[in-house]
Amino acid sequence: MASLIPCPHCGVRPKEEFAIRGDASLVRPDPESSDETWNDYVHIRANPRGRYREHWQHVAGCRRWLVVERDTFTHEVFSVTDGSVRAWEIGR
Amino acid sequence: MPHQFQERHALEELVSMNAAAAADHLAVVARQAIVVVLAAEGQEASVAALLTADEEISVRFSAPGEWLVVTGLQTPELLQQSLAALLRETAHCVDQSHGRVLLRLSGANSRAILAKGIGIDLHPSAFVIGSSANVLCGHISINLALVDKNSFEIVVMRSFAESLLHDLCEMGRAFDLSVFFAP
Amino acid sequence: MTAYRLSAGGLVDRATSLNFTFDGQSMKGLAGDTLASALLANDQMLVGRSFKYHRPRGIVTAGASEPNALMTIGSGARTDPNTKATVAELYAGLEARSQNSWPSLKYDVGALNGLLSPFLSAGFYYKTFMWPAAFWEKVYEPIIRKAAGLGRAVLERDPEAYEKCWAHCDLLVVGSGPAGLMAALTAGRAGLRVILVDEGFRHGGSLLSETTPIDGEPAAAFVDKALSELATLPNVTLMARTTVFGWYDDNVFGALERVQKHLAVPSSKLPAERVWRIAAKRALLATGAEERPLVFGGNDRPGVMMAGALSTYANRYGVAAGKLVALFTNGSAGYRTAADLAAHGIDIAAIIDSRADSTEVAPFGTRVIRGGSIVDTKGRSRLSGITVERSGFEERIDCDAMGMSGGFSPVIHLACQRGAKPVWSETLKAFVAPDVGAGLRLAGSAAGLYALAACLKDGADKARTIASDLGLLTSAAHLPAVGEETTASFTALWYVPGARSKAFVDFQNDVHAKDLGLALREGFGHVEHAKRYTTNGMATDQGKLSNVNAVGILAGMQGVSPAELGTTTFRPFYTPVPFGALAGTSRDEHAAPKRVSPLHGWAARNKAVFIESGLWYRSSWFPRAGEKTWRESVDREVLNVRENVGLCDVSTLGKIEVFGPDAAEFLNRLYCNPFLKLPVGKARYGLMLREDGMVYDDGTTSRLSDEHFLVTTTTALAGGVMSHMEYCAQVLWPELKVRFCSVSDQWAQMAIAGPKSRLVVQALVEDDVSNAAFPFLAAKAVTLKGGLKGRLFRISFSGELAYELAVPAGYGEAVADKVMDVGRMHGICAYGLEALNVLRIEKGHVTHAELDGRVTPDDAGFGRMLSSQKADFIGKRLSTRFGLTAADRMQMVGLKPVEKDKDIRAGAHLLREGAKPSTLNDQGYVSSACYSPVLGQFIALGFLKSGRERYGEKVVVWDRLRGEETLAEICNPVFVDPANTKLNS
Ligand SMILES: [Zn+2]
Repeated sequence: MASLIPCPHCGVRPKEEFAIRGDASLVRPDPESSDETWNDYVHIRANPRGRYREHWQHVAGCRRWLVVERDTFTHEVFSVTDGSVRAWEIGR
Repeated sequence: MPHQFQERHALEELVSMNAAAAADHLAVVARQAIVVVLAAEGQEASVAALLTADEEISVRFSAPGEWLVVTGLQTPELLQQSLAALLRETAHCVDQSHGRVLLRLSGANSRAILAKGIGIDLHPSAFVIGSSANVLCGHISINLALVDKNSFEIVVMRSFAESLLHDLCEMGRAFDLSVFFAP
Repeated sequence: MTAYRLSAGGLVDRATSLNFTFDGQSMKGLAGDTLASALLANDQMLVGRSFKYHRPRGIVTAGASEPNALMTIGSGARTDPNTKATVAELYAGLEARSQNSWPSLKYDVGALNGLLSPFLSAGFYYKTFMWPAAFWEKVYEPIIRKAAGLGRAVLERDPEAYEKCWAHCDLLVVGSGPAGLMAALTAGRAGLRVILVDEGFRHGGSLLSETTPIDGEPAAAFVDKALSELATLPNVTLMARTTVFGWYDDNVFGALERVQKHLAVPSSKLPAERVWRIAAKRALLATGAEERPLVFGGNDRPGVMMAGALSTYANRYGVAAGKLVALFTNGSAGYRTAADLAAHGIDIAAIIDSRADSTEVAPFGTRVIRGGSIVDTKGRSRLSGITVERSGFEERIDCDAMGMSGGFSPVIHLACQRGAKPVWSETLKAFVAPDVGAGLRLAGSAAGLYALAACLKDGADKARTIASDLGLLTSAAHLPAVGEETTASFTALWYVPGARSKAFVDFQNDVHAKDLGLALREGFGHVEHAKRYTTNGMATDQGKLSNVNAVGILAGMQGVSPAELGTTTFRPFYTPVPFGALAGTSRDEHAAPKRVSPLHGWAARNKAVFIESGLWYRSSWFPRAGEKTWRESVDREVLNVRENVGLCDVSTLGKIEVFGPDAAEFLNRLYCNPFLKLPVGKARYGLMLREDGMVYDDGTTSRLSDEHFLVTTTTALAGGVMSHMEYCAQVLWPELKVRFCSVSDQWAQMAIAGPKSRLVVQALVEDDVSNAAFPFLAAKAVTLKGGLKGRLFRISFSGELAYELAVPAGYGEAVADKVMDVGRMHGICAYGLEALNVLRIEKGHVTHAELDGRVTPDDAGFGRMLSSQKADFIGKRLSTRFGLTAADRMQMVGLKPVEKDKDIRAGAHLLREGAKPSTLNDQGYVSSACYSPVLGQFIALGFLKSGRERYGEKVVVWDRLRGEETLAEICNPVFVDPANTKLNS
């Protein structure tokens, strides 16, 4: 967690305005991918201590899905970017 | 047989008609036109430019490529039509005149009142005149705009308006906040 | 009489006398007193009984670390237990009561525990009350609860108001003593937005009891000048009576402001207390240092106080704690108190200095015993003398109060609340805060500086550093001139050997030095283990006085340095915060917002009974005169809809408009069934899956134009579906040109259902709504007679011929009234959620009672909706996995009791006939059940293994909760009109 999240669209906001979804590094597999790939995508989650990229939605603000890169131990937030930018970056 | 339908404000029986406002005052706007403008892909900048150039309307930021257009000067139908003419294919305009309630909070203590529900820094140096944002006020999402030195406009979803009104009254209790329908 | 009010001096207003009561006894204090100083002025040193041994206890401190003087203040529902008398501001009419004493403070039955103390040693809870287990609840706990425990919470409803508030600043200064005040002045003058917070009711901290002059004036005058300057700075906010209790992520601080706890009659406009969340770019802790007690025999006797507290009571409050005062010190502080007391004309019995080689000078004529120690104290409920030992010789010295000074610990709690470990300083003989980054710095005594001039300078310097951090240049601060000071120093002394009676470490939890030894012997030497084993530092004071001594003792016994042992973890809250304050206004009707349907007024006028449904208040049923039970009303409403026509508010359904050239493609990927070819002007029922293949939500989607759709969701998941769609559009498929917008609040929507609904709708709208022009699943914009624009959908949840009419929300009530008006001749009735539920169960339509997250489309009978044509959609891939296609999955069925008068209730299990009632034999469950007035019996929907193959078979409906078993027949879940003739009529 963090107390304040700098939304790239709205500025610094209290955490209450956001909802967390989880791991932002997951890429939705192709429908033809194996059972194992899909199982990993849907069910298997790492729970790392340290740097982690997560999807957070700014529910009470711009309603954009954001990628919040933060430290799960120190709670430091390193960066917050728009989720669609990230989606384009990973090549879709 | 044609039917005449009486429009009813969401806060109709909860707020009285205009009387003497206290130093800190919450005006409930009786009639307004509000349209959500969604810029089409790639048209965000041109839509923003067209909207801000129009002096008859007030534009509130909600999200990238998404604004609330607010006016007390036009009916919902006219606003919808004029926006459609202005923006044509570059945006989708969704009438929310009935889906939103417009409140105006003014007075020297307006910031102190809002700080009881809103986590963003409302200091005049941080939230300047003309600023607008979707923010959480207590449990309720609102769009907040600073329209004058000590005067804020709040746009809230209709179904939440009653609860927000109660919250604002509670927040304004220490300052004897008055609440009336705007004339 | 021993403690008394001095004839002069102090910052109390001698012209304003305040009446108050303590344990029912009337007393008088002065404006500016704390409850503790007023009690002392009334010679009330005995203020409570200790937790475990019920030993008499007196006031020890003059501040927030007080372990003993915990009072219950107030009366009736406005009663606060565990209030520290040492910080509670006196007001006229204050009612205080001592705690932990029964039947009275002076004669306490529980003091017997003192005699039993050999059995109440460390870990006694763990050892004594272990066995037999049944004894715990019935015997041990009630006894312990009666005899021990701190103050009692009142059972009445808390009448106080509370609130929460945000604040933002460049610099938060915590503590307005010398360092904090200079920091606020420096930063304030430089133009920073400053918030200066102090827990006292008067700003100034230690300056309020300081005797060293500043700029040639009393320190209090310097405080007044500084405060009046700060008050003129618009960028500075002063907050007294406010305790910063926590440091949280991103430099957000939690603070509790006691807004009107000090008023006998609070204003109804203000909260009693206010929780602040302060977002500070920088913070400066100027929280000072805590004087440490000395651990010697009999150190808990009332009258034994902190030396600094004696000074504070004399200097600030004009109160002498005794007439003949002894001091026991390991450093210079004891001498300073002696000088303070002597200046007020209080006699000093002796200064006992644990150091043999000390050089401090005592006030003229004072006896100093260097290299001496106190081994015992005398007196019943009040100190009457001490036993001093030096070089093997013992001496009894009479005194009626004494001060102890065991050195100082910087108050660093806040700095270490976010994981940073305190660091042992060999120089300071104390734990200090490590570097915790630029966001928070410490200044003055909190940073280990004990001289006044050094604290003032440090505050100014740190403020300048912070200003330059934030890009502001400041000129060198003008530092006030400070009179001559002695250098503060002390030698560590954790335990005074030779104790003749219990030497307490933690006064509040009654932990004495021997308990720590026992903990170590029994293997609990680790500081965190010892804490829990002995409960040292676990009381409401969280070991503010005791922790460092406990660490010193434990370290000493193990022959290591306190640095090696470390200290326990600091966590919020610094001092207790009432739950009410944390909840703020979020209680009762403000606990959650209430969503109001645009048809709420219409429903109320029709005498609806409302039910909470999520945040909404929905009309549940509409009782009429003569109806005695809800079932009578619901049965009537259901039958009327089946026979005539009814009107139901469905405005709470989620409504999302979807736009863009890729809108159809987007919906096609969102739903499991196809949407590309949905014609304009048509609605289609859609099922959204989760990626794991289970049904997420359902609803109808209408195509209003080629690139414009209207999606409806269930009421419950309106928010969730919107977020899900946003995730899909923004993150999964950003390449799709699609935009959407919730219009849930823009439209009032009413279901008009029943064989006569067409007559009613046609009387309202201009457009032709005949079956030919407006067939089942038509969805179009319509014009109401008179010109109002609306939307009309031919959709049906009830299974009847039905329409849903949407109009702009503000017109909702007027239109609903008109519907009732024109429908009267057709026998229209209003129907609510309960009737709607019966109607849909009769028709076999699902809600989230069925779609509970464990159900696939096929389970619910929608298997054919799963599009095999589509390349992809959310949930497609995992829908095909083995577990989701297995033949013995539970499938939705209808259930009817074999005996017509039996009922079935949701939640019951389904068993094979003759099977033993056990979840091992579970075959399924009942998801929804109701009485069907159409069938004249109870019916139910449920999920049963291979259910669709088992129509006609009988199962046992096993309601384990109510101990009922009912035989039921499995049937098709569509009880009414399975051929859909009504729907399409
Ligand atoms: Zn945002």
